[in-house]
Amino acid sequence: MSMLPYAVAAWLFGIGLYGIATSRNFIHLVGCLGICQSATYVLLLGLGYRWGSIAPIFYDHPPGTPAVDPVMQALVLTDIVVGATLTALLLVLTIQAYKRGGSLDPEILRPMRPGGQPDRGASRADDGERTAP
Amino acid sequence: MSPRLRVALLALSGLALLPGAAAVIAGLPPFGATIAQYGERINAIAPDARHVANMVSAINFDLRGLDTLGEEFMLLAAITGTVVLLRGHRGEGNSGRAMRRAGRALIPRSEAVVLACRIAGPLTAVFGLYVVVHATVTPGGGFQGGVILASATLLIYLGEGYAGWRDAVRSHWLDALEGGGALLFALCGLGPMLMGAAFMQNVLPLGTFRDLFSGGLMLIENLGVALAVTGGFTQLFLEFMEETRATDEPEEPGEESA
Amino acid sequence: MTASAAALLPLPVAIPLVVCAAMLATAHLLPGRLPDILATLAALAVAVLCAVIARHAAEHPLVYWFGGWEPHDGVHLGIGFSVDEASGWVAAFIGLLYAVTFVFAWGFFGRTHGHFHILMLLFLAAMVGFCFTRDMFNLFVWFEVMSVAAFALTAYHLEESALSGAINFTVINSLAGFLMLGGIGLIYARTGTLDFEGIAAAVARSGRDPVVAGAFCLVAAALMIKGAIVPFQFWLADAHAVAPSPVSVIFSGSMVSLGLFGLAKLSAVVFGGSDQLRHALPLLLTALGGGTALLGGWMALLQRHLKRMLAFSTISHAGIMLTGIGALSADGTGGMLVYLVGHGLVKGALFMVAGILLATRASIDEIALRGLGRGIGPAGIAMALAGLLLCGLPIGVLDQGTRLVQGALAQQGRGMALAAGAIGAALTGAAVLRAAGRIFLGLGPDPGDEAGAPSADEREKANRPLWLMLAPCCVLLALDVALPADLIEHAVPRAASAFLHRPAVAALAEGPAWLPWTSLTAALAGAGYGLFRRRLPALVVRPVSVTQSAPTRALEVLHSGLIGDYAAWLAVGVAVIAVVLGLA
Repeated sequence: MSMLPYAVAAWLFGIGLYGIATSRNFIHLVGCLGICQSATYVLLLGLGYRWGSIAPIFYDHPPGTPAVDPVMQALVLTDIVVGATLTALLLVLTIQAYKRGGSLDPEILRPMRPGGQPDRGASRADDGERTAP
Repeated sequence: MSPRLRVALLALSGLALLPGAAAVIAGLPPFGATIAQYGERINAIAPDARHVANMVSAINFDLRGLDTLGEEFMLLAAITGTVVLLRGHRGEGNSGRAMRRAGRALIPRSEAVVLACRIAGPLTAVFGLYVVVHATVTPGGGFQGGVILASATLLIYLGEGYAGWRDAVRSHWLDALEGGGALLFALCGLGPMLMGAAFMQNVLPLGTFRDLFSGGLMLIENLGVALAVTGGFTQLFLEFMEETRATDEPEEPGEESA
Repeated sequence: MTASAAALLPLPVAIPLVVCAAMLATAHLLPGRLPDILATLAALAVAVLCAVIARHAAEHPLVYWFGGWEPHDGVHLGIGFSVDEASGWVAAFIGLLYAVTFVFAWGFFGRTHGHFHILMLLFLAAMVGFCFTRDMFNLFVWFEVMSVAAFALTAYHLEESALSGAINFTVINSLAGFLMLGGIGLIYARTGTLDFEGIAAAVARSGRDPVVAGAFCLVAAALMIKGAIVPFQFWLADAHAVAPSPVSVIFSGSMVSLGLFGLAKLSAVVFGGSDQLRHALPLLLTALGGGTALLGGWMALLQRHLKRMLAFSTISHAGIMLTGIGALSADGTGGMLVYLVGHGLVKGALFMVAGILLATRASIDEIALRGLGRGIGPAGIAMALAGLLLCGLPIGVLDQGTRLVQGALAQQGRGMALAAGAIGAALTGAAVLRAAGRIFLGLGPDPGDEAGAPSADEREKANRPLWLMLAPCCVLLALDVALPADLIEHAVPRAASAFLHRPAVAALAEGPAWLPWTSLTAALAGAGYGLFRRRLPALVVRPVSVTQSAPTRALEVLHSGLIGDYAAWLAVGVAVIAVVLGLA
C-alpha cells in the first residue's frame, strides 16, 4: 500500500497521454491534458505527506506539532495556477480554431497542407457539424 | 500514422518504461513515512522568524516569494494572451446582447435568480475579502481569495443581465487592477533593495503571531496578488463571455481588427 | 566590488517585469510608439546589466539569496541566483537579441495596446531568470512563464495554420512542464532540497540510485522537448513556421537553445556526481544529437515554406549543440555555449529576412517568390551570407563554436556525431542558399521534391520602411562576423570550466580546419543541384531523385501535424532515454 499513490500518479500520466494520442476533439484533449497534470498533483502531495500530521497551519495547534511538508503544498499551489493558465489559453486557441476551421477534430485542423493548397473537401463541413460542441 | 499504429507505439514505450518506473517507485521513501528536511525546517523556524501561522503562505510570499512573483506574471501572460487572441471575429462594444446565437432560445431571467444573486453576490465578495486578508493566519491567501472575488463579479452577470454586468465591469479598469497588482508585488521586491536589504526581504514590522497583522511585507504582497488575480480572472470571464455574442457582420481577422 | 555587483542580480529579471506590469496598468493611456520605446530600452538595460554581471562573474560566480534567506547549516531555505561568466554572457546576448527584435518589430503590433510588448518582456524576464537561477522549482517556474508567453505569441496571426500550430506547441510543451515537475518531485523526495548545490551534494553521495536516474530522465526529456531534439522535435516546425517573424527570431534564436543550455547546466552541475549518468550521457546525447542534426537538415532541404525551412534548420543546429553537450567536457560545453550565441545571431538574421519578404513581397513561399527579391538586394546579400555562415564559412562566432564542438568530438573519437553535425550543417546551408538563389536571383525554374512540401500563405503588415527592418538584421550578422575572435578564445576556457564547476583548463581543442570547408563545399553543391538540376546530365539527376523520394515521403508522413502522433513520439522519446539510462 505504501507505494500506491506513486503508482496512481504514473497511471494518471499514462492514461492522460493515451487520451491525448487518440483524441478526436480538442476540448476532450484539453481534459486529457488536465489528467496528465493531476498526476503531478498526486505525486507531489503524496511525497509531502506524513501519517498522523496536521496541515502546516499552526492556528489551532501550537507550532512544533508534526505537520506535513508545506513546500510540496506551495509547489502544488503554483502548479494549479499553471494548470489554470494553460487551460484558459488552450480553450481560447480551440475557440478560434473552431471559428476558422469549423471543426474541433485534430485530424482536420492540421497546421499546413502540402503544396500550399488547402485540401478542404466537402467532408470538412460534415465533420465540423458532427464534432460541434 | 494510423491510430492503431499510434496506440501500439504508445503501448510499446509504456512497456519499455515499466521496469524503470517500478524501480523508481520502489526506490522512493514509503508513502507517509517521513517528510523532507526542507519542509521540516520551515515548519520549525517560520512561525518564530515571521510570526505567521500559515506555512504555505510563508513559503509563497516570503521564503520562496520569487516563485510566486513568477507565477503571478505567468497568470498575467496568460490573460494578456487571452485578450490578444480573442480579438476580432465577434460583436464588439457594449450595445449588443449576449447569448444571442442562431438556434438558441433566449430565456428570461427568473426573479428568484435575481434575488439569490443580489444576496449571494455581496456575501461572496465579503467571503473573498475574508480569505484574502487572513492569508497569514488561516488557509487561504491572495490567489484563492482573488478567484472568489472574481466569481462574485460573475454573479452580477447572472443577476443583472449582460448590460448590467458590462456597465459594472470595464475592461481597462481590469487591466489597471491586474497590472497594478502585479506592479505592487514587483515593487515589494525592489523596495527593500532601496533600503539596502535583499530583493523581497521582509523589512516591515512582523506583527503578532495568530493576528491579522502578522508577516510584515507579506501582507502587501498578498494584497498585490489579490488585486492582480481579481482583475485577471474577471478579465478572463469578460473575454469568454464576449464570445457568446453573435458576430454583427463578417469581419477579417488579423492586424486591422486588433 | 563583487559584493555590489551581486546586488545587481535580481534587476535583469525585475526590470522587464516592472515595465510590463506598468504598461498593462496604463494600457489604454499609452500613446502610439511609447510601448516600442519602453520595450527596447528595457531590453537594452537587461543586456547592459547582464554584461556588467558577466564581467564581474569572471573571477568567481556571483550568488544572491532572495529575501535575505542565506543557507544555514547547509540547509537552503530560500531561492538563490548563481551566475557564472557564461550564464551572464548568454543572458546579455538574449537581452541584445530582444532589443534588436523590438527595433525590427517597430510599429508592427501598433494597435494592440502594447500587449505584444508585454508578452515579449515577460518572455525576456523568464529567460534571464532561467539562466540565473540555482533552484530546481524556480527553474520550472521560469520554464513555464517562458512557455505561456510563447504559446500566446505563436497564435498571434489567428490564421488556421497559426492556431493549430499553437495548439500542438502548447500541448507538447505543457506535457514537458509536467514531466519536469514530476522529475523535480522525485529529486526532492530523494535529496530533501531544491537548491542545485544541495542536490548535487546529495546525488554525489547516493551512488547508483533509480530515483536520481528517473528524475534526470524526466527533467532531461522536458528540456529536450524545449530544445526540439528527435523524437520531440515535431512541435517546433509547426510553431516557428506560423509565429509572427519577430517572434520566430526569439524562438529560434534563444528559446530552443535555452532548453539545451538548461540541460547542459543540469547535467553538469546538478547531476554531474552520478556515475550512472556520466556513463550513459555521452552515448545518449551524441546519438540523439547526431540524429537530430541529420533529420533537421534533410527536412530543411525539402521545404518550400521559408520559415518552416528555417525551423527545421534550427532543429538541425539544436542537434549539433546537443552533441557538444554530449562530450561532457569543457571543450564541448564551451563550444556549445559559443555556438548558441553564434547560431542565435545568424538564425535571428535569417528570420528577419523572412519577415522582410513577408512584409514587402507578401509571401513566404520559396517557389512563389522566385525572382521577386530582385528589388531588395541587401536582404539577398544578408540571406546568402547567413546561409554561408550556417554551413561553416570559417569566420565569426558561429564558426568558432563549430570548431570547438568538433574538436571535443574528435578528441573523444565520436566520428559519427562529428560527421552527422557537419552533414546537418551542410544540408541546412544548402537549403538556405538554394532559397536565396531562387528568390533573389530568379534561378531554378524547376522545383524538385520541395514542390510537394506543406506551405500556407500569409502576410505581415507592410507599414515599416525597409531600412528599419534591414538594419537589425545587418547588426546581428555584423556581430557574428566582427566579434573579435581572440576575445572569445581567451574567455571560453575559463568560462566553460566555471560553468561546469570544474578546475580551469588552459586552452581548448579545436576541430580539423578542413571540416568547415568540406561542409561549405557540400552546401554549395547541394544548393547548386537544387537550382540547376535541369541543366545537369540525367546520369546525375536520376539516381539522386530515386534515392531522395522514398525517405522524403516517409519523413513527410512522420511530420503529420497530428497532435496524437506527437504525443506517441513523446512517449517513445522518454522510453529511449529511460532505457539508455537503465542499461548504463
